[in-house]
Amino acid sequence: MIRFCPPLNPNRGYELAKGTIAAARRSAEMVWLSPIAVSGGNIATLDKGTTCSSWNYCGQRLATGSTDGTLSIFDSPDPSSSSFTCNLKTKVHAGAILKVVWVPPEFGDAVACICSDGSLLLWEEIVEDAQPLQWKLCKSFESTSTQVLDVQFGVSSTSLKLVAAYSDGHVKVYELLDPLILKNWQLQAEFQNAIDSVTMFRKASCISASISWNPQKGENQGSSFVLGFNSDTPQLNSSKVWEFDEAHNRWLPVAELALPEDRSDEVYAVAWALNIGRPYEVIAVATQKGIAIWHVGANPELDGRLSVEKVALLSGHGGEVWQMEWDMSGTTLATTGSDGMVRLWQSNLNGVWDEQAAFQPTA
Amino acid sequence: MSGENQGGAIVPYSEEAKKPVVYPLRHGLKPPISRLGISWSRGNSLRVTVFRQPSEDSENEVGGKAVEVRLDGRDGEISDAQWRRIAYGSVSPFALLQSRKNSFASLSKISSTTSPFDAEWWEYVLEYSKDISSLLGNQTSTTQSLIEDPKEVLKDPEPSNLKAAWELMESFYADKLSQAWLPERLVDWLADYDSLFSSTQETVHSKLVDFQKDLVSLQVIEDEPKYWEVMSSALAVGWLDIVVKLLRLHGSYQLDQLGNRETENGLVEAVAVLISKMPRMRPELEAGKLGECFKAKPDFMKAWEKWRAQIAKLECSTFWIQCAHRQTQEGLRNMLQIMLGNTNNLCTLTCHWMELYIAHFLYIRPFTVGLESMYGLAQKCIQLKPMAASHRLMGLLIGILGENIEVVLAECSKGFGPWMVTHAIEVLTAGSHQADTLLHEERDNLGGISMEELHRLVYAQVLSSHPLTWQIAPIYLTSCIKQGMGLLEMLLYKQPVDHNQLLLKNLEICRLYELDSVSSNIMKIAGMYNWKHGKKGSGVYWLQQARDEARLNRIAQQMFDSVGRSISDENFRQWEGLIQLLGSEPKTAGGLEFLHNYRDFKKSLLQIRDGKTTDAARQAVESLISLMKNPCTPQRFWLPLLHDSLKLLNWEERPLLNVLQTNLLLNKLQELSIARLRPDFIEADLPPHALSSVRLALATNLGRTTLEEQ
Repeated sequence: MIRFCPPLNPNRGYELAKGTIAAARRSAEMVWLSPIAVSGGNIATLDKGTTCSSWNYCGQRLATGSTDGTLSIFDSPDPSSSSFTCNLKTKVHAGAILKVVWVPPEFGDAVACICSDGSLLLWEEIVEDAQPLQWKLCKSFESTSTQVLDVQFGVSSTSLKLVAAYSDGHVKVYELLDPLILKNWQLQAEFQNAIDSVTMFRKASCISASISWNPQKGENQGSSFVLGFNSDTPQLNSSKVWEFDEAHNRWLPVAELALPEDRSDEVYAVAWALNIGRPYEVIAVATQKGIAIWHVGANPELDGRLSVEKVALLSGHGGEVWQMEWDMSGTTLATTGSDGMVRLWQSNLNGVWDEQAAFQPTA
Repeated sequence: MSGENQGGAIVPYSEEAKKPVVYPLRHGLKPPISRLGISWSRGNSLRVTVFRQPSEDSENEVGGKAVEVRLDGRDGEISDAQWRRIAYGSVSPFALLQSRKNSFASLSKISSTTSPFDAEWWEYVLEYSKDISSLLGNQTSTTQSLIEDPKEVLKDPEPSNLKAAWELMESFYADKLSQAWLPERLVDWLADYDSLFSSTQETVHSKLVDFQKDLVSLQVIEDEPKYWEVMSSALAVGWLDIVVKLLRLHGSYQLDQLGNRETENGLVEAVAVLISKMPRMRPELEAGKLGECFKAKPDFMKAWEKWRAQIAKLECSTFWIQCAHRQTQEGLRNMLQIMLGNTNNLCTLTCHWMELYIAHFLYIRPFTVGLESMYGLAQKCIQLKPMAASHRLMGLLIGILGENIEVVLAECSKGFGPWMVTHAIEVLTAGSHQADTLLHEERDNLGGISMEELHRLVYAQVLSSHPLTWQIAPIYLTSCIKQGMGLLEMLLYKQPVDHNQLLLKNLEICRLYELDSVSSNIMKIAGMYNWKHGKKGSGVYWLQQARDEARLNRIAQQMFDSVGRSISDENFRQWEGLIQLLGSEPKTAGGLEFLHNYRDFKKSLLQIRDGKTTDAARQAVESLISLMKNPCTPQRFWLPLLHDSLKLLNWEERPLLNVLQTNLLLNKLQELSIARLRPDFIEADLPPHALSSVRLALATNLGRTTLEEQ
């Protein structure tokens, strides 16, 4: 831990002009983000009624969904350009598209659309036989009584897994059977987001859910994700880390990211940070109490659980947190919420988390 | 608020200090804004999507904007192109120093007596520092014009804060030889960079600039009070050449006046000579600069005393009474007072505390050595001339003088961004064990990395966010022991694969750093991209390069399906190339072996149709037998294969299959007849009598071959 070094001889010389030393001390613990030079600007213009957007893995394609069920794809002419134009519009649903998520690039150029009737559609860009390149529906996950609230893809060495969270508090994990075709999915598991796997919460009603896969890539990486609900059933809300137990072919809750008194708090968003070499994992969880930063141990303890430590509780957006995203080094967290701001958070050299910058959209 | 504790900070944050800066995010949309979306792009550029609440009235309105925010920590002082030039230019000095460091480290492992901080290590660091410094732009001395304008007292270079900061770091940390004459180095430094302070307040430089504008229109220069004031100010900060040049513009030098202003001119010249003979505690002076250099302190002290005595003597001289021109008399005596170290004069004639500081070194405390006394003096000067606004260069200088490595580092980072801090660390650690320990200590709070590594990672991220600079990020990432490779993998993974050149560059980087799993992942993505976008050949090629057996097997399977559906020649030709590409390496799928045999079989059949040679027919039979024997051949292919071979079975000249072979095929046919009864059996797309015609042909062949073998 760094301490501000006192002068070698405290009595020497004169006092520095007021403010200078305080500034120096503050900067000694400063964070590495500043100064922020905000450059850049508009890179794409979206159509009327656009409700959601998603950038692909390399930031070269933007998919947006709109209230009339239109999926739009934006591309840039070359990789060094940062101006994106809409090259395709296709109507994928009669109702609105609520969320768009890109399928990992190892499985082609495809997006999952969550629609207003609760269905989940997979659309893919493909050349088939002698036909030209087109976007085609490759899979439709329909459900009659419940709605899909969130969906996220996880890649393990060869297979692709899809986790969907439903409005009745259920979680379904599907596995892709054929890596070449996004059509055939097998339901691998279905469970509720509760530590106690015996009790079933039948009448759960969930407003939103947030899923985040462990973003680690690599052959030896097992599958795990974190999931939290915003529901009327306290037991389902708190974020839990689920890990796939290969030996017994089942999903197990290995950690709960909530202090005992906060377990019923509705979760707005979760985000699992990239780990480029830390001995522990970092996960951000947003509830109405703020954004909590959790350190999660890498190796399970005797009871199979992972050790967890809440290292910070950050307040900033006031109300709901819409989205949280970690940068590519897993050190800066960007968040946005109902106060209409984008905020950036980092830990300083003392391990203290703090807000580093905020962006206010202005016309 | 944030965190449950205040870390180990002795000075707690004040609430005010914690408030983050709020930056405007201009999107140009009419309110109301309904929602925002965020996504990190490569490096540290953040993309924000702004969604607008749709309104009923207008039809063609915009529904939202995507805006990119680059958090690159650069100020507007340096243009994008210049910045990239610096970024690219600093790669090789950095890499060279790293490799030297590595060889030093391996040397010191062999003999424990040498440490990288002894011996000639700092010479390497100085070389590095000079290389970096030269990237940041050239200073005045090199831009001398051929014809010198006698009235041009100031050159007009455009110094940058970045260069000024680098020079400070070099003087104090890299250049061990300059340690003995640091005050003089600061004199030079201020002479080069005083103009940088002019933007926020008046400086000696700005006074000179103003005066230079008036100079051309002045008739009798010595009557102008500003002339004397500006000269005195310049003298106070030690710009001796400028002062002497200005003095020689004095009217008494003019030929027509020389006669009646002899004494006056003598005094002016005497002062000019004294100024140009000022003893300086430094090894050398640049050409054109004035003063007499002394390397050893005793010599310097002796010369100093002598010089001071000469000034004092002139001050008391009687010639002053004979000097008729009042302004000249006052002006010159003022200048003598400066040289005699009159505190009040120095304080009124300088503007910025740094100027006063330099004046102190030159005329009041010329024997100052050691950072501690330099720091004390700086504090005194700041008190006498408080700064109107804080300046990043001053923050850095105070940190350096205060011998607080953390502050120096923080000021570098805060004031000059990640490029500066990453490259300055090399200089900072060169001679200071304290800095070395501080920067290389592994910290739990940083996830187990050192501060040096942290800053390199941050800089690499800045490089990564631009398509023209990401390619140099690996140099810095690979110098990070713990997390560099992890970030490099992420960076490479996030490069688009749909541009071939970029893809090849990407793979080249993987090869260079032995990132096999990343490169195979990239090739997998490229393979899938091509496969799905109609470029099946390239798709297979990249998947093979990636050794992605799972996908290749599936492709082979798809080919079976396609081939099995219809066995027409056109269809076969379509696939033939792919089968060729898929290769027949033992590692790849068993299914491929089938496809290869199948291809050979089909080729032979085609030859038979064309030329009817018995040899080709024999080859076809061999292929057929090996296909039928191979357990990998899917059952649904059996009948189509046999049906295709009817011609072989009914070969006119002589039976081509021996008894054993015929029996094998008959058994397979029998197996097939039984399999047809199962519900999951897939009927081949063949004429209804196919089975019976094959059976008949086989029976006939059996008869003929039995007869022949007897």
